[in-house]
Amino acid sequence: RAIHKSAVEAPEDTVTASFGKFISEIKPQHLSPVVLHRSKRMVLDSIGVGLIGSTTDVFELALQHCQNMYAPGDSSSVYGHRGIRLSPILAAFVNGVATHSMDFDDTWHPATHPSGAVLPAVLALSDMMPANNKPSGLDFLLAFNVGIEIQGRLLRFSNEAHNIPKRFHPPSVVGTMGSAAACARLLSLDPIQSSHALAIAASLAGAPMANAATQSKPLHIGNASRLGLEAALLASRGLEASPLVLDAVAGVAGFSAFYEDYVPQPLQSPGNDSHMFLLEEQDIGFKRFPAHLGMHWVADAAASVHKILVGVGPGTVSPAQVEDILLRVPKSKYINRPFPESEHEARHSFQFNACTVLLDGEVTVQSFTPAAMNRPDLHALLSRVRLEHPNDNPANFNRMYGEVQLTLVGGDTVKGRCNTFYGHWRNPLSNDSLRKKFRSNAEVVLPSEKVERLIEVVEDLDQLRDCRNLLSQLQ
Amino acid sequence: EGVFVNQGKNSLTDGVINRSKRMMLDTLGVGLLGTRTAVFNKALKYSQLFTSRERSSVWGQSDIILPPHYAAFVNGIAVHSMDFDDTWHPATHPSGAVLPALLALAETLPSQPSGLDLLLAFNVGIEVQGRLMRFSKEAYNIPERFHPPSVVGVMGSAAASAKLLGLSPEQCIHALAIAASSAGAPLANAATQTKPLHIGNAARGGLEAARLAQIGLKGNPAILDLDRGLGVYYKDYSPSAMADSAVRAYKWILEDQDVAFKRIPAHLGMHWVVDAALAAREKLQNAVGKFDLSQIRHVTLRVPPSKYVNCPLPATEHQARHSFQFNACTALLDNKVTVASFGDAQIGRSALKELLGKVSLETPEDNLPSFDKMYCEVEIATHQGPSYTARCDTFYGHWRKPLTLKHLVDKFRVNASSVLCTVGVEGVIDVIGNIERVADCSILGSYLRMTSNQEHLDRMRIL
Repeated sequence: RAIHKSAVEAPEDTVTASFGKFISEIKPQHLSPVVLHRSKRMVLDSIGVGLIGSTTDVFELALQHCQNMYAPGDSSSVYGHRGIRLSPILAAFVNGVATHSMDFDDTWHPATHPSGAVLPAVLALSDMMPANNKPSGLDFLLAFNVGIEIQGRLLRFSNEAHNIPKRFHPPSVVGTMGSAAACARLLSLDPIQSSHALAIAASLAGAPMANAATQSKPLHIGNASRLGLEAALLASRGLEASPLVLDAVAGVAGFSAFYEDYVPQPLQSPGNDSHMFLLEEQDIGFKRFPAHLGMHWVADAAASVHKILVGVGPGTVSPAQVEDILLRVPKSKYINRPFPESEHEARHSFQFNACTVLLDGEVTVQSFTPAAMNRPDLHALLSRVRLEHPNDNPANFNRMYGEVQLTLVGGDTVKGRCNTFYGHWRNPLSNDSLRKKFRSNAEVVLPSEKVERLIEVVEDLDQLRDCRNLLSQLQ
Repeated sequence: EGVFVNQGKNSLTDGVINRSKRMMLDTLGVGLLGTRTAVFNKALKYSQLFTSRERSSVWGQSDIILPPHYAAFVNGIAVHSMDFDDTWHPATHPSGAVLPALLALAETLPSQPSGLDLLLAFNVGIEVQGRLMRFSKEAYNIPERFHPPSVVGVMGSAAASAKLLGLSPEQCIHALAIAASSAGAPLANAATQTKPLHIGNAARGGLEAARLAQIGLKGNPAILDLDRGLGVYYKDYSPSAMADSAVRAYKWILEDQDVAFKRIPAHLGMHWVVDAALAAREKLQNAVGKFDLSQIRHVTLRVPPSKYVNCPLPATEHQARHSFQFNACTALLDNKVTVASFGDAQIGRSALKELLGKVSLETPEDNLPSFDKMYCEVEIATHQGPSYTARCDTFYGHWRKPLTLKHLVDKFRVNASSVLCTVGVEGVIDVIGNIERVADCSILGSYLRMTSNQEHLDRMRIL
C-alpha cells in the first residue's frame, strides 16, 4: 500500500504547527526542578481527590453506565475499585468523573481544573501500553506536564479566559486539548500527528456553564480526559483534521469558536537547554474542602469571624445572636445560591459555605451530606444572608477577595476578610498539609499501607524506571 | 421540550411521514456508500478496540458488530463522509445525527420497536433540531463558528433516543441537558477528514446522553432557556417553548420546510455553482457548436461570501467538496460532477488545475450566505470575445425543487449497490417504503448487512 502523504501539512509558521512541534519535541530534561516538584504535588492531590471521589453517587452512575455499555476490557484501573478494570477510554472517563465529582480538585489561573483532565488519560494510556514498554516515571511526568502546559498556553490566548467563566466551562474547552496533547506526547506522535490530535480534540471540546452546579458537571472533566485520549488515538491511526485549528482565520472559527476575543501565539520550540513551563511562573491552587474555589475566600473570612465570636461566647455561633450576614463577593451568577437544594448546588454557593463556617468553624467533606445540609440552624443563618458585589471585587481568581460582616442582635458588627486563602497559589499548601489532605481522602478507599506507598511512589516519580509501581497502587 | 418528546404516534401526518421516509432512505444510501471511505475505515478500526455485551450492526458489513455507541459513531461518520447527506433550512444535516443512533439503539432493546416507533422517534429527533435552530438568527445563515450538526445534531439524537427508550418527560429534559455538554465543534474542521466525525459524534453523544438520563444522571433542567446553556453556541439566542403537543394536530416543521437531497457529494453550495456552470457550458456549446477548453479565457463565479467553501486550489477530496472553484471547473471540464470526481487522480488533473488558474470569485452584495436565499452565477469569457453567463437560483434537489421519488430511489440504488447485494438493496427500499406498517424493524438491520458476493470476494482477496 502506498503511504498516503498528508496533504494537509501546516506551514511551519502557524500557531497550530508550533504546538504540534512542541508536543512532539519536548524532552524530560526540559523539566526544571520547580516544575517537577509542583507537578508531583498535583499528581498526588489529583489521585487523592479521585480516590475519595470514587465513593460518590455520580461516580457510581458513570461506572454503571460504562459497565452496562461495555464488557470488561482488561487493561485500565479504576480509582479505588479493586477487581474492576475498564478499557482505557472508559477508565479515563470514570476516573475523570471521580476527580471532579466533589469539586475538590486543583484550580489554576487563568481558571480551569487542569489535572483531572490529564492524569486519568495518562494513567489509562500507561495501563494500555504493553508490559515490556511501559513508560518510565519521567516519561509519565513529562506527558502530564505537556498536558498542563498546553492548557495554560491556550488560556492565555484570550482576555475572557482570565475571569470566572460565563459561557463555556473551561475544563471542557482546554482540558480536552490538554488531554490530547499529553496522550500525543506519551504515544510519541510526530509533530504533524500531534497537531491533528489537537484539531480532532477541538471538535470534541466545549460544554456550557449551565451544567455547572449540577450532577453533570463532573462529566465535563471525565469527557475532557477520555475525548482527548480518543483524539490522540485517532490521530495515531492517521485521522487528519484542520492544520489551522489554533490559528485565527477570519470567517472560519477553529478553537477561537469558544472565545469572544482570541489572539493566539506560537509556542517556542524547546531548544537544547530549556523550556519555561508556565507552571514555573504560575503555581496551582489546591482546595482544602470540596467546593468551588470562590468558596474558599468566604470560608476563610467567615472563619475569622467565627473565631472571634467563639472566643468570646459559648463556643458556637447561634442563629439567635445573628441579625444580618453580609457577604462582599464578586458577581458571578452560578455561585450565588441563597438556598441550595443539592450537594452540587451547595458546593457552588457563597451563602452556604459562609454559613457552614459560621456554625462549624470550617467546611469539610461532611458539610455536604444531606444531614448537614438540612440543619435548621443552617437554614436560619441562610435566611439572614445578603450579598454585595463591590466594584473593586472582580470575578477573577487572581484578584478577588471575600468579606463577611456579621451584625449581631444588639448592633455589634464583626468583620472578616480574606484576600488570599490558604491553598491559593499565593499562599500554597505546605507539603504536610497536602499529604494530610491526600491521606484523609485516600484512606476512605485504600488501606493505609497502600496510601503511604502511593505518597512515596509519587514523591520519587521522576526516578521510577517503570510506572507500573504507580499504576498498581490505585486500586 | 421534555413533554414534546413524550408524545404519541397518531400525531404524524401523511406529509411528514412521506418526507421523513425519503430522508431515511437517502441517509441509508449515502451511509452505505460512505462505508468504503478512508475516514470510515479509520473510525472502524479505532472502534473495534471496544467490545460489549450489547451488539449493533455496522452498515454494509456482514460480520462486524460494535457496542451501540460505536456503531452509531461509525455509521454516522459513514453518512457524512462524502458530504452527500441531506441538508435543511436553517442549515444543518439533520438525518445523519439521528438515524444511526436510533438503529443502533433499536438493536439493543429487549423487544424490537415497530417501524412506526422508529419513524416517530426519527421525527422527534428532526423536529427538535428544527426548533432549536429557530432560537437564533445566526442559525439561518451559512455558519462561521460552530458546525451546526455538532450543536443541534447531538440534541436531536438525544431527543430521538429518549423517545425510543420511552423516557419520562423529566428524563427527556435531562437527556437534552447532558447532550448539551457534548455539543459544539468548530467550523475549522469542515473541509477536513474530521468533519464526518461531527455527525458521528453527534449520533453517539446523543445516544449516550439518553442512556445516562435513563439511569438517573441529571443536568440543568433549564438548559435550553439559559444563555449559558445552549445559548453559548449562538451570538443571539431567544428560546421559545414548544406548542403543547397534547393537542391532536401537532404542526411539525418538516411539514412546512422540506430538506434538500444532494445530487453531488459536496457542500450544498456547490450544487448551485455546478448547475450554473453546466448551463453556461451549454450556452457556449450551443453558440459555438463544440465545447473546447482552450476557448476559455477566464471564468468568474458570483457566489455568496463563505470562507470555508472558497478554496482556489484544493489538495484533498475534503477540500474539493468545499470549493466553489473546483466544482465549477469539474462541471466545465467533464460536463458533470459525480462521486468519481473527487478521487485523488481527478483532483490532480493538469487540465483541471490549468482551468482553476483562470477562475476568480466575486461576492455580490445581493448574494446572501443563506441556503434559502443564495444564488450562483458563472460567466465564461472566451478568447474569441463573447461571454456566456448562466445563473442558478434553485438547483434540482433543493427544497424548492425536490428530487422526484424515482430520482431519490435511483440515487439510493446506485449508492447501496456499491456495497449490498440486490436482495439487500431492494429489501431496504421495501422496508423504508412501508415502514409505518412494519411490525418489527430488526429486518432493516438484516438487509443492511447483506453485502454483495463481489464485496465478499474483494475482501477475501485482500485478506
